Amino acid sequence: MFLSACGGGSAPASGTSRGGAASPPAGSIPDRTREQLSELGRQHKTAQALYEALKAEARGGQTLAWAAMPDWSGVYSRPADKGFTFDPDLPQGVLTSAKLTPEFQAKLEKRVADVKKGIEWDPISTCAPPGHPRWLTEPFLREFIVTPNQTWLVNEMVNDLRRVYTDGRAHVPEEDRYPLYNGDSIGFWDGDKLVVHTNQLMAGIYQRSNPDYTEQVETVEIWRKADAKTLTADVWVYDPPALAEPWYVKQSYVKLSDPDLRIRYWNCAENQNNAVFQTGDGTTQFNDFTFTAQDDAQRGK
Amino acid sequence: MTNRPSSLAVGLLAGAVVLLATAATTTAHHSAAMFDDKKTVTVEGVVKEFQLTNPHSWLLVDVTEKGGKVVTWGFEAEGPSTLRRAGIKPSDLRPGTKLTITGNPMKDGRPAAIWVNAVRADGLKFDPRAGFATK
Repeated sequence: MFLSACGGGSAPASGTSRGGAASPPAGSIPDRTREQLSELGRQHKTAQALYEALKAEARGGQTLAWAAMPDWSGVYSRPADKGFTFDPDLPQGVLTSAKLTPEFQAKLEKRVADVKKGIEWDPISTCAPPGHPRWLTEPFLREFIVTPNQTWLVNEMVNDLRRVYTDGRAHVPEEDRYPLYNGDSIGFWDGDKLVVHTNQLMAGIYQRSNPDYTEQVETVEIWRKADAKTLTADVWVYDPPALAEPWYVKQSYVKLSDPDLRIRYWNCAENQNNAVFQTGDGTTQFNDFTFTAQDDAQRGK
Repeated sequence: MTNRPSSLAVGLLAGAVVLLATAATTTAHHSAAMFDDKKTVTVEGVVKEFQLTNPHSWLLVDVTEKGGKVVTWGFEAEGPSTLRRAGIKPSDLRPGTKLTITGNPMKDGRPAAIWVNAVRADGLKFDPRAGFATK
């Protein structure tokens, strides 16, 4: 038996599993169109409510067994042909597909206007991790490690790891929460789908020239192997101060064909030539390079 | 010290600074606001050092100006794994390798640029931005 059902789907499914092991039973969460997925977000006031609704659809979800695991092996990356924007389906020339509150719409418009004037500063310039949900957008190498009780979502950039606990534990009690780069993620399996709820996050930006999010941001994700080469994630973002309604986007990660790609340790501060500072007018400038005169950076200050 | 591209002669291709519309520049980790993505600079030189580091690699190229002065240019690219995805390996650009390299230069005139493409003396081409293709 591929899955030990705690509630459980029943019909056979076409999920990909290792070594020809038994296919997982079909999950109970139905496939939906993009519009239906967006509407599903709007039907629930909070990420927690959406997560609970999906868990009810999944009849409580299931726990994986070592005997047969979904095969998410390989090295992946996020397609960058449309840039790094948070919504990969954003039409050209459109600022964002998020419905922002007026305050955050104004912030975004100022950010984009500043970029046009040559003024841009990325909060990760001094080597902070991107943090979730920006984590979803970075265009570097990825690995996805599935075990019965945890799934690890690996981003090569700054050795960045999201742990999704699928052992039935709840979130940290509210009184003990504090902001974390990648938050606290719990989840359950529904057939070949991994459903994840993440809270306890830090404020940040979705990506350069994208909107801001606040410490109230929470996400719900449904991850699955869409085909032999593609992992997808349906993502709903809730952030009442910044989003007038939940933001649905679909992320994709493509398995790379080079069999010898290896993820190495990423020390962001290893090369002085990558050190930058924020100038008085708010933009980005390099410090002194190792290959030029030592006072070169003064011109930018 | 300032090494404006237009001041270079021997060792640089004619019209080193060329006004061209180029694709929007993106870099991991920091903004590319300090580079001028509307200009390109092309130099001929010899690889001094290939720094394969995260979040950015740097190819240092010694360029000999008219009069014999050697100026070291730095060309910034993505980290080693992205370069590998673009087919660029350390052994391709060992110190002493002759090449012609093009980039978007710094706005402040320092001899540094975002590496756009390079051609080795034997004709082999290197485009680090190809490393973002998911193939």
